[in-house]
Amino acid sequence: MRGAPVRHERSIGSRRRVRVGPLFRKSIQMTAELQSYTIDPVQEPAEREDVRRFLAVCGLDYEAGVQAFVVFRRGNALVACAGLEKNIVKCAAIAPDLRGESLGLTLLTEVSHLAHERGHSHLFLYTKPDCVEFFRACGFYLLAEVPDLVALMENTPIGIRTYCDRLKRLRQPGATIGAIVMNANPFTRGHRYLVERAAAACDWLHVFVVAEDVSLISYRDRYALVSAGIADVPHTTLHHGSEYMVSRATFSAYFLKEKGLVENCCTAIDLLIFRNHIAPALGITHRFVGTEPFCPTTFKYNADMREWLMGDVSPAPTVEMVEIARTECEEVPISASEVRRLLAADDFAHIRRLVPPATLQLLEAKYRAPRISAA
Amino acid sequence: MKLRRSMLFLPGSNAAMLSTAFVYKPDSIMFDLEDAVSLREKDSARLLVFHALRMPAYRDSGIETVVRINPLSTPFGMKDLEAVVRAGVEVVRLPKTDTADDVHALEAEVERIERECGREVGSTRLMAAIESASGVVNAVAIATASKRLIGIALAGFDYVMDMQTERGDGTELFYARCAVLHAARFAKIDAFDVVFSDVNDDDGFLKEVDLIRRLGFNGKSLINPRQIDLLHNAFAPTQEEVDYSRRVVAAAEQGEKQGLGVVSLNGKMIDAPVIEHARVVLRRAEASGVRQ
Amino acid sequence: MKIVREALAGTLESSDLMVRIAPREGELAIVLQSEVIHQFGPQIEAVVRGCLAKLGIAEALVVIEDKGALDCVIAARVQTAVSRAVDAWTADWSVLS
Repeated sequence: MRGAPVRHERSIGSRRRVRVGPLFRKSIQMTAELQSYTIDPVQEPAEREDVRRFLAVCGLDYEAGVQAFVVFRRGNALVACAGLEKNIVKCAAIAPDLRGESLGLTLLTEVSHLAHERGHSHLFLYTKPDCVEFFRACGFYLLAEVPDLVALMENTPIGIRTYCDRLKRLRQPGATIGAIVMNANPFTRGHRYLVERAAAACDWLHVFVVAEDVSLISYRDRYALVSAGIADVPHTTLHHGSEYMVSRATFSAYFLKEKGLVENCCTAIDLLIFRNHIAPALGITHRFVGTEPFCPTTFKYNADMREWLMGDVSPAPTVEMVEIARTECEEVPISASEVRRLLAADDFAHIRRLVPPATLQLLEAKYRAPRISAA
Repeated sequence: MKLRRSMLFLPGSNAAMLSTAFVYKPDSIMFDLEDAVSLREKDSARLLVFHALRMPAYRDSGIETVVRINPLSTPFGMKDLEAVVRAGVEVVRLPKTDTADDVHALEAEVERIERECGREVGSTRLMAAIESASGVVNAVAIATASKRLIGIALAGFDYVMDMQTERGDGTELFYARCAVLHAARFAKIDAFDVVFSDVNDDDGFLKEVDLIRRLGFNGKSLINPRQIDLLHNAFAPTQEEVDYSRRVVAAAEQGEKQGLGVVSLNGKMIDAPVIEHARVVLRRAEASGVRQ
Repeated sequence: MKIVREALAGTLESSDLMVRIAPREGELAIVLQSEVIHQFGPQIEAVVRGCLAKLGIAEALVVIEDKGALDCVIAARVQTAVSRAVDAWTADWSVLS
């Protein structure tokens, strides 16, 4: 009989169906045939709602950002699923009665191939610490773990190691090595002030620009403005950001802040990766931040920094956190969020006072809010 | 003559199954590159099967190796054929055989590859799967299309769709089974029945096996190793059949020794087909004992 | 042949392995993870290197997650990964065996 054997595929529109049939393993043999396929949650609301119900049964939230799900069904019942938001595996769940079987390996295999087809080979995955062992068997490796709360894993044994090996080549001698991680959205006089102050306090300063391209100002532009803006500051190295630093993977909530979804932001993972991997690679002893009067996410990030960089929460050496009071303009601290607010209001007269000339030029040329025609 | 009672289907993309299936000792193992393999894995399955065919575990096991290739009309079929003929497969199974020309086309390509890779011409055997009304109607022409054919198989899933019906109690396959069987017997090759897909329904499986055995099929395609012993036992002769066959063969040997043109047992003449059948019975008994 | 893009082959299932291959300048780096690495690590790596050498691959990053695969499965998965990572797959069957 055609189609009875173990994996079967036919294309139905955009959908791929793979039938995973009676496997030899006895436990699965007892059950009906498994079928797996990919769904687009936007295009297929019925499937999406089924996934949502299944996740709820498994004690997981449905995450709206997921762009594609791999779904396994036995008969009509959903028995496993895993979603992808770009390169982050989310909403991975297996029906309780099928856990401990090889289904997890099959599920993660399917997700890996789906991600690859969608152009993502480097994957990240958040899970509970007690599932780390399970995902380790699925080819994921621990990056950082907040005990009892959450763990971040990546699907390569050499990801963070390779990254840190590259950083090590940029190590500079000195007893006090500083670091600043900035989004610079856009680069302001405040950023310039912070870099100057930090550089003066260190033997060497490493500046990282957040690489995730979800901010108003593109990464390319942000990096170029920082580069121009701090070129004359001595003993300073400018680095491209990476997926290991304030990225969608390590710190997804940061990029949701404009949607007001800040309450559950998970800063600890990002800070632990910095403390355990990045700081040792470059010999970083101090991390500099500006005080944060406006943005609640950044404010919380700064507060958490003290705990995760300096507290007794990691075997790695502590990194001293140094908060530098923001420089002010007419008694108001300069911040990038204020610049963006002024930009939306097309208030270039005020912006001029907050940013260096290069930033002003770029904002005027490229990011000016479209004006409503008076005619 | 080789016994071909059980032909175990293995998805060509499944490394674990390919690595271990020989331990189940079916008469034949059929590595599937066609329906059991997703489009994404066509290339990897081909390479896996290529390497599995070269494993000593298969080469020296006495298990006949069969590969179901994709139809030559697909982008995969010719690549499959190149790989498996070179890897030394014993039998190539052609799916969706509708006419004798399908077999001729396959045979021409097989011969070309044999010459190219230095394999003895004719050493790659073929089997044709009949999966449509056209295939059933042309069964005799298909079964006699090539000296390389070791058998023809009925594949039920596509066939019942082509017939605008569905799988049921077997009534829907009645004509096709008989037609394929007659064509095979006419061509003096083997006939294989469809798979029984519900691996948990032993009673249903055994009922179907009993039917096709009595019809005269040589064997059946299987999708689960659990079915192998059940099938072999069902195909094993009864003690009574074995005893009778022993007497027939003994009488035949006696007759041969004495140079008699006619063989008789208990005063009754027995002719060649009876003797041949007795030998088949004894081979089955040798392979899996008497029916339990 | 030259590795021009990242490719993935195989599965994480038992008796199989997952192979990731990516372009790399100037070296052949093989990163092997296996449940049986203490017993079979060197043998697995030898199979991988042998396969790549026959295909003329001298520069690549190969990351392997092995689940106890037989040598022939390792060869098949490495070859599949390479075939998916090159522009023109010109390997003759004789170099694959």
